[in-house]
Amino acid sequence: MNCLLFGYGYMGRIRHRILRTHPDVKMITIVDPALDPATEGLDGSLLSPGEQVPWREVDAVFVCTPNNVTANLCIEGLTQCGHVFCEKPPGRSWEDFCRIAEAAESVPRHTLVFGFNHRLHPAVQAANAMIGKGGLGDILYIKGTYGKSGGTRYRESWRNDRRISGGGILLDQGIHMVDLLQLFLGPLTVTDAVLTDSFWNCGVEDNAFVLLRSEQGVPAFLHSSATLWKHTFRLEIGCRDGYLMVNGLLSQTGSYGREELVIGKRQFEDEALALGNPREEIVYFDRDESWDKEIDEFLAAVKERRSPTHGTLEDARRAMQVIRDVYALTERPGLSRRR
Amino acid sequence: MRSIQTTIVFPLSSVKPLDGQQRYRERCLAEARKALRRGVQWRRECPACALTLEAFGDVEGLDYVRCPGCGSLFLAPMAAASDWALALKEVTRYRQSKDAFHAGITQSRYENVLAPKLDWIQSTLRLQQVSQPRLLEVATPPSDVEELLEESGLFSEVVAIDEMDLVAAPATPEHPAGFFDGVLMLESLDRVSDPAALLRALSSRLVAGGLLFVTALVSSGFDVAVLGLRNLYLYPPDRANCFSRRGLELLLTRAGFTLLEVSTPGVLDVEIVQAHLRQIPSLILSGFERQLLAATAETQAAFQAFLQQHGMSSFARVVARKRP
Repeated sequence: MNCLLFGYGYMGRIRHRILRTHPDVKMITIVDPALDPATEGLDGSLLSPGEQVPWREVDAVFVCTPNNVTANLCIEGLTQCGHVFCEKPPGRSWEDFCRIAEAAESVPRHTLVFGFNHRLHPAVQAANAMIGKGGLGDILYIKGTYGKSGGTRYRESWRNDRRISGGGILLDQGIHMVDLLQLFLGPLTVTDAVLTDSFWNCGVEDNAFVLLRSEQGVPAFLHSSATLWKHTFRLEIGCRDGYLMVNGLLSQTGSYGREELVIGKRQFEDEALALGNPREEIVYFDRDESWDKEIDEFLAAVKERRSPTHGTLEDARRAMQVIRDVYALTERPGLSRRR
Repeated sequence: MRSIQTTIVFPLSSVKPLDGQQRYRERCLAEARKALRRGVQWRRECPACALTLEAFGDVEGLDYVRCPGCGSLFLAPMAAASDWALALKEVTRYRQSKDAFHAGITQSRYENVLAPKLDWIQSTLRLQQVSQPRLLEVATPPSDVEELLEESGLFSEVVAIDEMDLVAAPATPEHPAGFFDGVLMLESLDRVSDPAALLRALSSRLVAGGLLFVTALVSSGFDVAVLGLRNLYLYPPDRANCFSRRGLELLLTRAGFTLLEVSTPGVLDVEIVQAHLRQIPSLILSGFERQLLAATAETQAAFQAFLQQHGMSSFARVVARKRP
């Protein structure tokens, strides 16, 4: 396959690294007008400024750009090639997303996958296997915390410039947690939300507190933050017969800590000596194959002309609906207000 | 790959009391000597690393050798397979008799040793999305767990086979090569005369992608590392082999398996060293080790949790998948 990669920033480099060693990939062409052609590791794959994109030779497109151009490139990729992998978020806004969805619907037999790789993290997959008939019974509630500390260059990042990004930490990082909550609970509606911009003052939220409810009435709570001075990923899932906690996340920098899944089974006084302190098993994971699995699945779907299994248009629609509703509820200009 | 820590806690006395097992140990050593008297071959090469083994010491006059690469320990002389099989059957028969200390702690062994193993297998099957597999249990007959496995409802079929027969026994029309979806080996690698041959044989019975469940005592674990051959739980024929964690990983990888889980969820390392010190007050231990043994229960529990988290307890369990 010949792959076209829009954007060679943080995510573009990750995708490029995987595509370079993928057995189905013959050639990669990179489009990034901001990139110095002398950048190491490009192997002459950078399209020169002014050169036309060789659409006829492209089998799959990867959109790894800032959010303000995501929708246009996605639409162009769908129209010209029909097979697009797009990083999250799927556009800056609900309107951007709808444009992408409309373009997808007009292209028969298209393949469109969005980069919700957290679903494929080992602890998340293991947690999913334990729920329901997996032994822990139905879910009673979920709480998710995902946050980072920002850092000295936080204000300079395009991610926090609303004109480019379309939103703050909820849209940027929090969308992964929204996707995970819907992976476990199905479609969610927003019950209440509070957004604040109390530390970074970038004009986009640096903290989002969102209360959600599933169609079956199961509550979920999400805290997405750019002021968690200790990088944190934590997912607490309470089930009828036990509980699960995903702590830490395997990442490039390792800053979210060792990825682990705590599995606890409900034990009352008749089964354990101390009520409220059941036996736990902690599973540690040391390999994140989520990036590879995501690309494997996308390329396999393209090759086999079938629908993808995750990161689908429907998954993206549900995530963007939640974010749209949170922003509407909290009226962005006065971030801390809510109706 | 994943590894597992557990908060399950139980005392040494509830599963393998040091005081109580002296008679069993003597019986084991006697049976091992009897088998070795019928003729021996000296083991010179590590089955995991293929390095030449080095002299390490002896357990009641029976020499052990050590791999300079992975640190695994092996009984140096080995009897013919048939003689070794007889010794293993004999000690198993004794262990299951009323005379052995095991008889008095059957229930607590079930709760603390066997039931958690079933939980482990069940969780792994769920994580690997394997439903109703056909399981081959490799054990010294009669198996301690065959009935439990059958009653669990986890498997569509459970077949137990003598670990010492598996190498020589051909596949049958009823159970042809590649028939089983899973193989369970509870400490078989610790006692068989040729661990590499056993792995080759069971691999041929497994379907490609099939799962292998292994438990073992490992020499890299705290109590074995501290006590060495003074460890009263280390004796033939049950522990003719004591792989290190690294050795176990290499052995399985070289036999065509991909490692899915390597854990050391043992809970007794510190207590085992403590029990040895009570029984052998002259035991030579470092200042740090003595300090640890004199510490509060909370400190010892934290240290035991550390051993689990970092793969340094002496009870190892492994899940591996047969490569296609």
